[in-house]
Amino acid sequence: MIFFGLLLIAMFLTLVAQHFIDPVPVIGARVFLMPIIMFYGALALPVPGMLALAFCGGLMWDALNSLSVEGNVEIAMGWSIVLYAALGALMGGFRPLFQRGRWEIHCLLSGVCTAFIVLAEYLMITFRREPVVFFFDKEIWWRIGGAGLVAVLLSPFFFFALNYLAFLVGYDPQPERSARRSR
Amino acid sequence: MSRRIVIPSIIIFVALTALILFLSPHNMRRVQAGFLGMISPFLKTGSSMEKKYRDFREGLKTLEQLESENKRLMIANKELSATNQTLRGLEIENNRLRSSLEYSKRSVFKLLPARIVARDASTWYNKIVIDRGSAEGIKDDQPVLTDVGLVGKTSVVSEHSATIVLIADETCRVSAKVEGTQEQGIVKGERVSSGSTPSIGLNFLSKQANLTSGANIYTSGVGGVFPSGVLIGQVKEFKTRELDGHATVVPAVDLTTLEDVFVVVGESK
Repeated sequence: MIFFGLLLIAMFLTLVAQHFIDPVPVIGARVFLMPIIMFYGALALPVPGMLALAFCGGLMWDALNSLSVEGNVEIAMGWSIVLYAALGALMGGFRPLFQRGRWEIHCLLSGVCTAFIVLAEYLMITFRREPVVFFFDKEIWWRIGGAGLVAVLLSPFFFFALNYLAFLVGYDPQPERSARRSR
Repeated sequence: MSRRIVIPSIIIFVALTALILFLSPHNMRRVQAGFLGMISPFLKTGSSMEKKYRDFREGLKTLEQLESENKRLMIANKELSATNQTLRGLEIENNRLRSSLEYSKRSVFKLLPARIVARDASTWYNKIVIDRGSAEGIKDDQPVLTDVGLVGKTSVVSEHSATIVLIADETCRVSAKVEGTQEQGIVKGERVSSGSTPSIGLNFLSKQANLTSGANIYTSGVGGVFPSGVLIGQVKEFKTRELDGHATVVPAVDLTTLEDVFVVVGESK
C-alpha cells in the first residue's frame, strides 16, 4: 500500500515535470515519463493495484489534456483510463518474467506502449475532427515513434530507481528473484 | 491473487470508468478546472525554478551592459509614451468622428497581464497555462494577445490559473481579413507543423485573392470571440485549391518563446 502510494505520487510529479521538458530537437517527439511509471506499476503490483494506477493516471492525463471545443467535448474524459488499463493488462502478461528478475523485454514493451498511446491519441483526434483524413507523414511517425524510443531509453533508469524505492519501503516486486538469491 | 479480490476490483474499475466517460461537458470542465487548480501551484513552482536556472545560466551582466541596457530602455520608454499620447489623441478624435457619423463608440480593451507557467506536454495540442484565473476575472473563450499580436483564447479556467489554446492549434479558429483587400477567411492551426515555428493556415479565401508574401492578416471581429484589428500574422505563401484559396501564415507572435501575455477581460471605461 505504501509502495502504491509512492507510485501514485511519482506519477503526479512526473506529470508536472513533463511540462518543463522540451520536445526532442529535430523530431519534435515529447518525453513521456508518467506512462513509464504506470507500466512499471503494472509489472510490480497485482491486478487491483494496476487498475487503480491506470484509473488515476488516465484521469490525471485527461483532466489536463482533454479539450472541449466551443462547448463540445472532443475526446471524452476517461478514454485514457481505458487505454492505460488495456496496456497495463498487456504489461501484466509479462509479470511472471519480471518477477523472475528479468526486465529487458519490459523496457522495450514500455516504449512500444508509450508510442501506442500517442498513436491512439492521434487516431481519436482524427476521428473527431473533420474532415476525417488519416494523414501520416514522416513528421507524424517521428512524433509517435520518437516518444516510444525515448521511453525505451529512459525505462531502465526508472525501473531501477523504482525497484530501489520498493526495496527501501520493504516491498518486493520480484519475489522469485529474491528467493533465488537467498538460496 | 485470488479471484475474490480481482473480480470485484475489475467491477469497481469498470463502474468508475463508465462514470467518468459519461460526464457531461459542463462537469468535465469542472473536473478539469479542479485538477488544474490542484496542479497549478506545482507548475508555478516549476516555472519559477526553470526561470531561476535560465537566469543563472545566462549569467550576471556587467555594470556597463546594465547601463547601456538601461539607457536603451529609457529611450524606448520615452518613444512609446510619445506614441501612446499621439494614439490617445487619435482615439478621441476617431470616437468623436464615429459618434458624429452615429457609429458605436469603439473602446480600448481592458487587458490583464499574465505569466506563462507551463507549456503543453501532449503531442497533438498547442496549449499553455497562465498564472491568472477566475479570481482575477478570466472566463472561458476570452482572447489572449501580446503587444505584437494574437496568441489564442482561454479554455479551462480554474481559480488562479487558466489554459490557453494557441492560434497554432487546429481547434482554434479565428475569422480574419487581409490588410488592403476585401478578402476574409478563417485562420486555423495545423495538427503537426514542420520546423520550430508553428505555421497556421488562412482558408476560404477567393481563388482570385492572389495574396502577396508579407501581407498582414488581422482579426475581423466576426464571431464575437476575438476583437477586430488584432494582428495575427503575415502571409508566407498563397495557393489555390479546388474550391478556395489558401494562404500559409506565419504568426506575428513567436509562440515558442512566449513568456508573458495579456488576457482581454473586457472593455475599459
